[in-house]
Amino acid sequence: MSYMFKQLSREWRFMLRQKYLLVLLGCAILISGFSVQSGLNEIEQQQQTIERLTAADEADRIDAQHKHDEFGMLAYYTFHLTYSAPSDLAFAALGERDIYPWKHRIKMLAIEGQIYESDTQNAELTQAGKIDFLFVISALSPLIIILLFHDLFANERNSGRYDLLVTTAKSPWALWGARGAIRFIAIFLCLMLPFYVGAWVSGTSLAAIGLVSFYCFIYLAFWALLSVYWGRNASSAPKVASGLIGIWVLFAFITPILGDLTINKFVHSPKGGDIVFAQREAVNDAWDLPKEVTMDAFTATYPEWKDHVAMQSMFEWKWYYAFQQVGDQIAASMSQEYRDAAKKKYQLAGYASLLSPPLLLQRILTHLAETDAVAAFKYEQQVRDFHRELRLFHYPFLFAQGEFNKGELANMPSFEKFIIEQQDDRNTDSAQSTNK
Amino acid sequence: MSENSSSTTPFAKIIIVAKDEWRYWLRSKLAISVLAIGLLLTLSSVIVTAINTMELSHTRHELQNDADQTFVDQPDRHPHRMVHYGHYAFRAPSPLSVLDPGVDAYTGNSIFLEGHRQNSAMFADQKQGTALTQLGSLTPAFIVQTLAPLLLILIGYSSVSRERESQTLTYLLSQGTSGFTLIAGKGLALMSVIGLILVPLTISALFSLHEGESVAAILGFILGYALYLTVWALLVLLFSSALSKNSESFTALALTWILLCVVMPRVASSTAITTVPAAGKLETDFAVIAELRKLGDGHNANDPAFAQIKASLLEKYNVDSIEQLPVNYRGVIAMTSEAKLTEVLNEFAEQRMQTVLAQTIVSRDFGWLSPMVAIRSLSMLTAGTSIETHHKFLREAEDLRFNFVQGLNKVHAERLTYQDDMNRNKDLDSSNKARVAAKNWQVLDDFAFAVDKPSLRLQRSAPAFLQLLAWIAVLIIAIRWVGKRLV
Repeated sequence: MSYMFKQLSREWRFMLRQKYLLVLLGCAILISGFSVQSGLNEIEQQQQTIERLTAADEADRIDAQHKHDEFGMLAYYTFHLTYSAPSDLAFAALGERDIYPWKHRIKMLAIEGQIYESDTQNAELTQAGKIDFLFVISALSPLIIILLFHDLFANERNSGRYDLLVTTAKSPWALWGARGAIRFIAIFLCLMLPFYVGAWVSGTSLAAIGLVSFYCFIYLAFWALLSVYWGRNASSAPKVASGLIGIWVLFAFITPILGDLTINKFVHSPKGGDIVFAQREAVNDAWDLPKEVTMDAFTATYPEWKDHVAMQSMFEWKWYYAFQQVGDQIAASMSQEYRDAAKKKYQLAGYASLLSPPLLLQRILTHLAETDAVAAFKYEQQVRDFHRELRLFHYPFLFAQGEFNKGELANMPSFEKFIIEQQDDRNTDSAQSTNK
Repeated sequence: MSENSSSTTPFAKIIIVAKDEWRYWLRSKLAISVLAIGLLLTLSSVIVTAINTMELSHTRHELQNDADQTFVDQPDRHPHRMVHYGHYAFRAPSPLSVLDPGVDAYTGNSIFLEGHRQNSAMFADQKQGTALTQLGSLTPAFIVQTLAPLLLILIGYSSVSRERESQTLTYLLSQGTSGFTLIAGKGLALMSVIGLILVPLTISALFSLHEGESVAAILGFILGYALYLTVWALLVLLFSSALSKNSESFTALALTWILLCVVMPRVASSTAITTVPAAGKLETDFAVIAELRKLGDGHNANDPAFAQIKASLLEKYNVDSIEQLPVNYRGVIAMTSEAKLTEVLNEFAEQRMQTVLAQTIVSRDFGWLSPMVAIRSLSMLTAGTSIETHHKFLREAEDLRFNFVQGLNKVHAERLTYQDDMNRNKDLDSSNKARVAAKNWQVLDDFAFAVDKPSLRLQRSAPAFLQLLAWIAVLIIAIRWVGKRLV
């Protein structure tokens, strides 16, 4: 034990005397620190936005409910905020939250006309990409590791010390093992320390921290071993590094780009514009169609209102909301295809990323942080489900046309309650299935 | 360098050094494969992006024509129905987006236009993507901005340090070749590689002449990239001459590339977002709603907010009631409230665009620290694929919206009587009476989006040109200083 410690402490002192290693490690901790810091900032901004939106949304809804008395008008003017809050790991992997919307305000009109609205940030900055901890680990750290490890042997060979060192060392492990271990521990700590601080600040669960550490360790070890292996016989350090950087370019850019081209070639998706167009046409045509056509299509889905479709005037709110729903029904299959295509693409990209370690790590960690496309798809589905809930709440008042008093609005579904209920349902479901 | 003698002019000597460097590259397996891969990547990116852009351009023009035609083909209707039927505007890609698509895939490229609302642009291509191109995409802009510098480093890191390491440097210098001549010769060799990289770009850019791009913009674009790669050639020469070992020169250059090309652009955008927070559209919409409530609902002509308009109309036409007015009161209200509402919407939209622009400018200022950030802005600004172009699209789409909505409101006020309008929901007959002929749908302006004038685009990219020139100036001074001390 003390022997091993002696080896390590010798290599530690040796490393401290090599200026360029210290520069590399310094860069690593600075960049990692900056990325965690800006990730924390970004997440805090998102949380503050949600708080402000929730307050404003509530005030606006109360205002609308106060101003209008007719039920159809109330439904028309009442918006509902939906959002997907960032997880406690999101600061480390901001993921695709700047591409997919994570907040919508929806109302009783056709969902297909509302769900594609996007409230995204500055596109020019999104295109450049942000620096988050995940980017530092997946894209940047391989380069730093390459620079740290490629010259492990070549450097000594070049300065003519190699044979002397090998013959005087007790075992190759005592020399190269200790040297490699020290460098690896140093870079691992420099990269991970800021993450641990960030995780502590945002109260990330220990399990998540453990998993992130595990994946990062495997990933960094992969690059370190590759670098050492690649340089085992070489005497020209720059040649080793060139080859390694070439591998990095291949993994980070070339295979993903080829994967992207192939997937886009083979997965076809309806054009988003066509969905909105179909929905729009359906809704607008409804004004000129005989009312029965709309109502029949509506009661095909909701037969419980079959006996309540008769109209007294040329315009009634129940008909208005019925043709909104019919518009959604007409666009439904196209919209489903559109979503399926997106899911399919993301799923296939999973296979492509098996050939690209940086992207594999990105997928794993953004999934863990719930900031990937899958989380975005899930949020979209929640919005759709909530919209359905909302419609089901309104239909009795629109169709049965019984007494309506404003007190009933207190029972109106809210997205927050809806999410909690959904969560509970899932928990009881899984509890039941385990009981069985 | 056998033909080297004191009788040759300095310029001829520079050429000899450059030729010799090429001979070295052609013999080195590493250099020749790096060159081949680099050129192959540039070429394929140019071809792939050109095909994609042509497809996009074709689809969007077609969609625009379809949308125009569908609108005009609508049957007789109540004019306000057409206000809500709405219209679409598509952003056609700029000609130079074959080389730098910029923000095209990151912003929605179509907007649904309707009365009383400014919708956001929908269907950004990235949302329907594979998320595989987060680190880089196969566009000429990405390849040349990020990978070409790496290529220059890989073939050039040892250009001077090699001579020193193999102890040919002292020999060369004592033979009468000055340090400056040597560095200049190596520089010339690197510049010729830059020329090679720029050939596919230039050819593709010339094709965009056909699409209506101006010569000035193309020249500016190519010149920008030439300056950018020159910065990298100079960096390579500087490190290679200043550091004594090949491995040191390589490590220093690789680290510089990591910091300037990989880290800085993202640090720039992260800094911009945190220093200039921008509220999203969803959030500013609350302020818009509050403001609009004060204006009254244009659908409801009895809204007390319109009392004053009513009074002034009655006075103007000298009648006692709105039924006696020669124009349809509901149409007039729709028109006035649309105008007021648009004013409010535009004010907020303008504010939002200014914030986004302020953010972008913060990130562009990082061009003083990283030539990569400078060329990135220069490239998008000159090509007309920057955020400014998207804003232009938003503004023009808004003009289109306002014009056709007001055109329809005018028809509403003048071609439909107030009585017919009020009875529109009574029964089928009166509903049919409350319509106007389809020929009125010609109010629609033709919409064809085009990027800003080349002079404006070049003017916008002036700061980025200055940033690159400053880099070049500083590096040349540093190299001259190192060149004199070359031993």
